[in-house]
Amino acid sequence: MNTNSRPTSHPTSGDINAFAITPRNAPSDSVAPGAVLRAEGITKSYVIGGTARKVLDGLDFRVDYGESVFLAGPSGSGKTTLLSILGLLLTADSGELFLRERRVDALSAEERSQVRRDSIGFVFQRFQLIAALSARDNVAIPLTLHGHPLHQARGKAEELLERVGLRDHRLALPGSMSPGQCQRVALARALITEPALILADEPTAALDGVAGRAVMELMRELTTNFATATVVVTHDPRIFPFADRICEMENGGFK
Amino acid sequence: MRWNLAYRTLLHDRGKLTAGLVGVIFSVVLVNLQGGLFLGLMGKTSTLIDRSDAQIWVGHRGMRNVDFAHPFPERWQYVVAGLKGVDQVEPLRVEFAEMSMPDGNFETVVLVGVQEDSDLGRPYEIVTGPADALQKNDAVVIDDCDQDLLRDPALNELREINGRRIRIAGKSHGVIGFLANPYVFTRYEQLAELTGFDRRDTSYLLVQLKPDADADAVCEAIEARLPDVSAMTASQYAWTSADFWIRRTGIGLSFGAATLLGLLVGLVMVGQTLYAMVLDRVSEYATLRAIGLNERELLSVLIMQSAIVAIVGIAIGFVLTVVLQGALSTPKATIEIPTLLYLGCGILIFVICLVASALPYLRIRRIDPHVVLQG
Ligand SMILES: Nc1ncnc2c1ncn2[C@@H]1O[C@H](COP(=O)(O)OP(=O)(O)O)[C@@H](O)[C@H]1O
Ligand SMILES: [Mg+2]
Repeated sequence: MNTNSRPTSHPTSGDINAFAITPRNAPSDSVAPGAVLRAEGITKSYVIGGTARKVLDGLDFRVDYGESVFLAGPSGSGKTTLLSILGLLLTADSGELFLRERRVDALSAEERSQVRRDSIGFVFQRFQLIAALSARDNVAIPLTLHGHPLHQARGKAEELLERVGLRDHRLALPGSMSPGQCQRVALARALITEPALILADEPTAALDGVAGRAVMELMRELTTNFATATVVVTHDPRIFPFADRICEMENGGFK
Repeated sequence: MRWNLAYRTLLHDRGKLTAGLVGVIFSVVLVNLQGGLFLGLMGKTSTLIDRSDAQIWVGHRGMRNVDFAHPFPERWQYVVAGLKGVDQVEPLRVEFAEMSMPDGNFETVVLVGVQEDSDLGRPYEIVTGPADALQKNDAVVIDDCDQDLLRDPALNELREINGRRIRIAGKSHGVIGFLANPYVFTRYEQLAELTGFDRRDTSYLLVQLKPDADADAVCEAIEARLPDVSAMTASQYAWTSADFWIRRTGIGLSFGAATLLGLLVGLVMVGQTLYAMVLDRVSEYATLRAIGLNERELLSVLIMQSAIVAIVGIAIGFVLTVVLQGALSTPKATIEIPTLLYLGCGILIFVICLVASALPYLRIRRIDPHVVLQG
């Protein structure tokens, strides 16, 4: 695998004491062997103005349990496209994709939504909260999709909102919250089902430095607690220290 | 949660919700009032039948419309009276005549000759004047809803019918037929005097049955004994009279078209509202798809929204219909809305609202969850 790994020191939570980092689980030993997500030979072309242009060219990629991998690289280098394919939102032209050793690249649309629902949490650049629902209900949605009764899902959502520091905003609508608060709600929503994998596309791009850092610290802490693997697309070097590994993309592949 | 999502999203966009509700309310009110007016009008085609106590109407063979009667021998009443199951028979005369107006003009009226001591055929209740108004020799009873048509006759005013002097001895209220011509009631005998109607003839025989008699069997027996008459139960003859006007005037078509238009407007408004709501929230729907809702679940959210708009709109529409009916219904233009019309209209519009969610559903099907990542 042609990835550019870079050892980084974990950031301390010194500036925001409330978010103490708990020791990382070691799921690869105790839960399951192998990778949470493994992609091999991923190719994707877009037809732009009549000519096909290869955005991803035979890419290999893997994320291990509890690992936090960042996808970096210039705009237009295919980061979002790769993330969409990893998240089963987009199908690759060729290549194989395994989620917890289950082959998932050839599933039907309905099966793919089921996999997303069961195993993947998303964090989007622009939060993508439902405007009409309170913070609590936004967070509760994925749990209700798993068949939990609403009151139970709301209870868990409130717990999680408390952990991201939004206890007092649990009944607030997204329109009345700051971008940083919205992204914390979105993070809680992505984590409430304790998915195996979190995919985040530029989660700090719409936030200022302080809010961005707070969100990343939370993400780090919570994914550590839940032993969740994360893939974060970003070109914000300020948050690079939160990565276990950084993969830089360029011309349809990794540098 | 889907329920939560459905109604909160609806409530979140009050403007569009209002537009959708207005569409449903408009449809409900229009369909009910149109239907009610139609039924009210059709009800008038059988005013004489509905207001009499006869269970069977016997008229000349081929009778089709209570206001247009062809005479037949009055003595046939004894044949009918002798049949099994018949309790009482009474003749009724109906004939067109001309009433003079103070300004020298004439109005064509439908003259109805009833027995003075009638139990069966008396279609009016006197509200102005003495109860026994028709006892007097030259008396007629008119309806006060026809005051304008008859140029405001006062009680005891003298007029002429077919050139003979008569007196307005009493007035009823709300006895209005389908024809634009007023009913004028007079004694059975006097009708013949005023119109030259053959005294040996009558227009109808009204029959009252014994308690256990079977109306259809008696009708058959009458027609078997008297080949030149038709005998129908009151409700059959009422239907026949309504059918006569529906077929001859095409009135059903025009009311039907207006009603259909109302339904169509409702369909379009609800469909368009839901569609606009979906368009506004494409990115939210895409997000929901991304986090794992499937198409069926999104469709169920849409259907819940349509159902909410439908039920709330129908409820408000019913209330408004009742209010408007109270305000607009008059004896002349009666709005008659039976429970069945409410029920049918409610169900129809509910179904239409569900159908209306097909349009936004087609849009939702095309939503690619990938777009949420594309900014
Ligand atoms: N839906 C699409 N249709 C056509 N071209 C696309 C589409 N999505 C992305 N692209 C192209 O693919 C390339 C990579 O896009 P993207 O993955 O969004 O890059 P990044 O996230 O690294 O900025 C860009 O050149 C972009 O124009
Ligand atoms: Mg991107």
